[in-house]
Amino acid sequence: MTTYWLRHRTAYRYEAAVDLAAHLLHLRPRALPGQRVLSARLLCQPAPDHHTETHDHFGNAATRIFLAAPHTAFEVTAESLVEVAFPPPPAATPPWEDVRDAATAAEAAEFTLPTATIPLLAAARDYAAPSFTPGRPVLEALLELNARIRADFTFQAGVTSITTPIAEVLATRRGVCQDFTQVMLSALRGLGLPARYVSGYVRTRPPPGQPRRRGADQSHAWVQAWLGPGLGWAQLDPTNGIVVRDEHVLLAWGRDFADVSPLRGVILGGGAHSLCVSVDLEAEGAD
Amino acid sequence: MRAETLLSGGPDEMVSGGGRIRPHWRALMGAVGGLGRPALAERRERLLRAIQEDGPAALLPGAAGGWRLDPLPLPLDPAEFESLAAGIAQRARLLDAVLDDLYGPQALLASGALPARLVLGSPAFLRAARGGRAPRRPLLHLYAADLLRGPCGAWRVLQDRAAVASGLGLVLENRRLLSGAMTEGFRAAAPRPLSPFFELWQDMLAALAPPGVADPAVALLSPGTAHGHWYEHVVLSRELGCALVEAGDVTVRGGAPFLKTLAGLQKLDVLLSRLDAGALDPLDQPEADAARGIPGLLDCLRHGAAAFVNAPGSGLAEMPALPAFLEDAAPKLVGETLLLPSLPTHHLPPGAEPPPLPPGHAAWAFRPAGDGRAAERPQRDPSREEAAIALPPLPMAPALDGDAMAPAPFVLRLFAVGDGARWQVLPGGLARLATAGQALTGRLPGGGWCKDVWVPPDPSEAIIGPAASAFRPLPIRRTPAALPSRVADNLFWLGRYVERLDRGARLMRSAIARLRRFAPLPREVTELQALARALHEAGLVGAEAMPGTGSLSPLADALPRVAAPQMRAQTDRIGALLESVRDRLTADMHATLTQTLRAAEAALDAAPPELPELARALVPSLRFANAVAGLASENMVRGGAHLFLELGRRIERAQAVAGEVAIALDGPPARIEAGLRLVLELCDSAITYRSRYLNVMQPAPALDLVLADPSNPRGLSFQLSAIAGALVEIGFDPEDAAAREAQRLLAQAEGVTQRLLDAADQSREAASLPPLLRGIADRIGALSDAVTRRCFALLPPARAVGVDTGAGAVVLGA
Repeated sequence: MTTYWLRHRTAYRYEAAVDLAAHLLHLRPRALPGQRVLSARLLCQPAPDHHTETHDHFGNAATRIFLAAPHTAFEVTAESLVEVAFPPPPAATPPWEDVRDAATAAEAAEFTLPTATIPLLAAARDYAAPSFTPGRPVLEALLELNARIRADFTFQAGVTSITTPIAEVLATRRGVCQDFTQVMLSALRGLGLPARYVSGYVRTRPPPGQPRRRGADQSHAWVQAWLGPGLGWAQLDPTNGIVVRDEHVLLAWGRDFADVSPLRGVILGGGAHSLCVSVDLEAEGAD
Repeated sequence: MRAETLLSGGPDEMVSGGGRIRPHWRALMGAVGGLGRPALAERRERLLRAIQEDGPAALLPGAAGGWRLDPLPLPLDPAEFESLAAGIAQRARLLDAVLDDLYGPQALLASGALPARLVLGSPAFLRAARGGRAPRRPLLHLYAADLLRGPCGAWRVLQDRAAVASGLGLVLENRRLLSGAMTEGFRAAAPRPLSPFFELWQDMLAALAPPGVADPAVALLSPGTAHGHWYEHVVLSRELGCALVEAGDVTVRGGAPFLKTLAGLQKLDVLLSRLDAGALDPLDQPEADAARGIPGLLDCLRHGAAAFVNAPGSGLAEMPALPAFLEDAAPKLVGETLLLPSLPTHHLPPGAEPPPLPPGHAAWAFRPAGDGRAAERPQRDPSREEAAIALPPLPMAPALDGDAMAPAPFVLRLFAVGDGARWQVLPGGLARLATAGQALTGRLPGGGWCKDVWVPPDPSEAIIGPAASAFRPLPIRRTPAALPSRVADNLFWLGRYVERLDRGARLMRSAIARLRRFAPLPREVTELQALARALHEAGLVGAEAMPGTGSLSPLADALPRVAAPQMRAQTDRIGALLESVRDRLTADMHATLTQTLRAAEAALDAAPPELPELARALVPSLRFANAVAGLASENMVRGGAHLFLELGRRIERAQAVAGEVAIALDGPPARIEAGLRLVLELCDSAITYRSRYLNVMQPAPALDLVLADPSNPRGLSFQLSAIAGALVEIGFDPEDAAAREAQRLLAQAEGVTQRLLDAADQSREAASLPPLLRGIADRIGALSDAVTRRCFALLPPARAVGVDTGAGAVVLGA
């Protein structure tokens, strides 16, 4: 079990005054078996005129912040203390075809459908297909696909953005965590297997002999794949080719990024704006 | 082939198997038979005219055809209606319960009673409407069902309408139009009136307000004038006595929706929405356009700050495949068996084919399983998840096609409103006549051929009006409670454009009168030069049309070629503005204005290049402007809408008078008399002048009449004094810069007379006035800008509500 101190700061600066703003935040870590949220708070500047806390359709915590006075900067800092020890996936899982055939279940059906940003591409399905041989236990196939993505795709920041289509990532084999997650989701859903988009953070191991770099971390994305009725979801991080255990902190899940984007807003006025995001995920006792 | 099997051979509503006219048709057919064919054809023509002149077709943008109303209504058997009404009410309750579950615990999905993939994959499933607190009941408030007669002889549901359930405005209009054209039929058949339903509906809407709201503000939320059913929104908002607002009129503050009005933000308690749920709230719906919609609205509703019906996402109850599961769900959800089933419906996952067509049905219709907005198609697309619906031949009722009465196939739409506890079914409805190639399902089209639906009184029952509602005396109001800023803006510009049209026509007419002379006098040439400048400044002719010393022909040429099309463009703008403020005008006013505007447009369209004919073509434009002025002064309550229309007209006219007088006086003092005559002519003041001063033309009396005399409604002082008064009435502080500026301008205009009388040489003094007058015109323009900014563009500064807003950072939660 590892305890993390998490700090996620987002700062907007506006060229002209924003008269009215509304922001939707998915920044509170989700309480789960395997993830205990010891404390969580949000600080924002300027102070909101109104705010609400709810849980969305997926069960994620959602905070809405409303600013009604003119402002030229807006800053949100989410801080939390989280204990993480996700249980390992079960040793025995059913053949992947059985999981596919059971995917009409209420808990899973939604996560087999295409979305605007994650279409079901034949190219993605064909890429995954060699791992899904007839009768193969689903977890075994998932782990292999997870490892293949890690091996076949090059992690390179700056070549893609949140709007880069999956087809392009499949062709260039380059991108960041979100791109690999989307490729894997498109492939699994194309095979009829339920899979979720997960938003959160991963700790970055410090280089030997150096303190870890503050602000060097960022929002992370990975995959939850359904293992069948009663077996729950396996958490797979295709960017690192690993099963999620105690190096990740989970914020929210949904069908795609649009369901869980950490911070999204609608503003009136403001002109051009700049955005600055920094994330620190420090293991307690490390450093 | 399919169309033929569907559109013919269906059950005859009027004639029974034995060839006898059914009892509930007899009174009506007796009256219609008494009319005879020519009279009936005349009624059809009368209806067509009424619809064009004052019906949906007069208003719907681009709806050339619009709706055509058959003079023969469709009477329903009273006993059959009662059982239908019970079925409709139960079905509405059932669908409300389905929505309540799907936007709540989703037990229907967990138990497998409904396929999760169907519901969660439906484009109508609004994720943002689920979660948080339990949803408020009712989710479904206004419901409509489209019905066909099944082979068993009983009515069956073709489709459920639960998102916006359009058509009630059309029903109201049909009834109004028909009551004028078919008086004999009304006397004979005495259909149940519709108004008790709408009164009850009004009460239900008010009762939906959040607890503790004494005098709830109810608004109908419309997508705006460009929407195909906008006319219906106008009609309904009037019938329900609620404000007609658009998304841009609403803003969220402190967790509640507010209407942006001239008097500031006013809280809204109940919203009857006609918007597409997919684009309601750009905060919660990333796919929605941020410039449209109301950011934060869904959060207000989630926390119960206002009622919103039908609830966002209620279109889910329209899923074409849902009826395949309703019969099994009914006992679980409402504890009863389904009284009014759908036509046989099957949910077909990709690859599945429908079973053999049940006996008595003509064809399968296929619709996307989860999308109630989509129309049916005759062929199965096996790659898609679809609903297969077995269609019987459509029921037939006599309709007047040409001069002949012939049976026509139709779809019946009935409506109900509910408040969570009870449902009321409208004793009437809409029968859409079906033609080949036209879709039977999906959204209600913007036009077509339809019938009014009559429910004869049931003699066995006492007439039941709406339950006597707790009578709450309304507070007396003499000022507009909530004029949306957008409406005020449109009225202001309507006033300005109408006045601009009037000025343009007057200038053109004066120029034509002089150009027509074979050889204009030197005085007239001077006047023409001034007129040409005024026309140029009004944007009606180009600089090249201004006669220098030489030829007048460029001006004569520009009037038909440039000025007339410019005028026509102004009538287009006026038409659009008139349409946008349609809900602020009475039906009579609207009819008068649209007719006179059409006449003005037609005359301008047909304007020939010959000047005398062109002058005649301008008369309808002047007549239209007069109609606006007359109706505004005689038919509009002072304050509110009238105020802004008036302010717009006065500002435009003040600016024009100041500018034109400046042009007319701009010349050597020796030629001042020509300028004065022109000024009197343009200000329609020549007769008044003659009655006061006979034929002696002097600067002081002439300019006193057009600039300083407060009793001349075409003079400058009158306009400025009206502007100053209107500003105070709108709510400008008398010490406000704009209000003081209006007073200063008024004092300047009134000072002109004394200035001229004091002068040694009146003509010289008059000739020195143009810079002053141009300054006044410019300042009126600046005043207009100030009013626009203050009233229409800027909102009052927001107030912080709800949360303690201490200095520095605030911690949300812990």
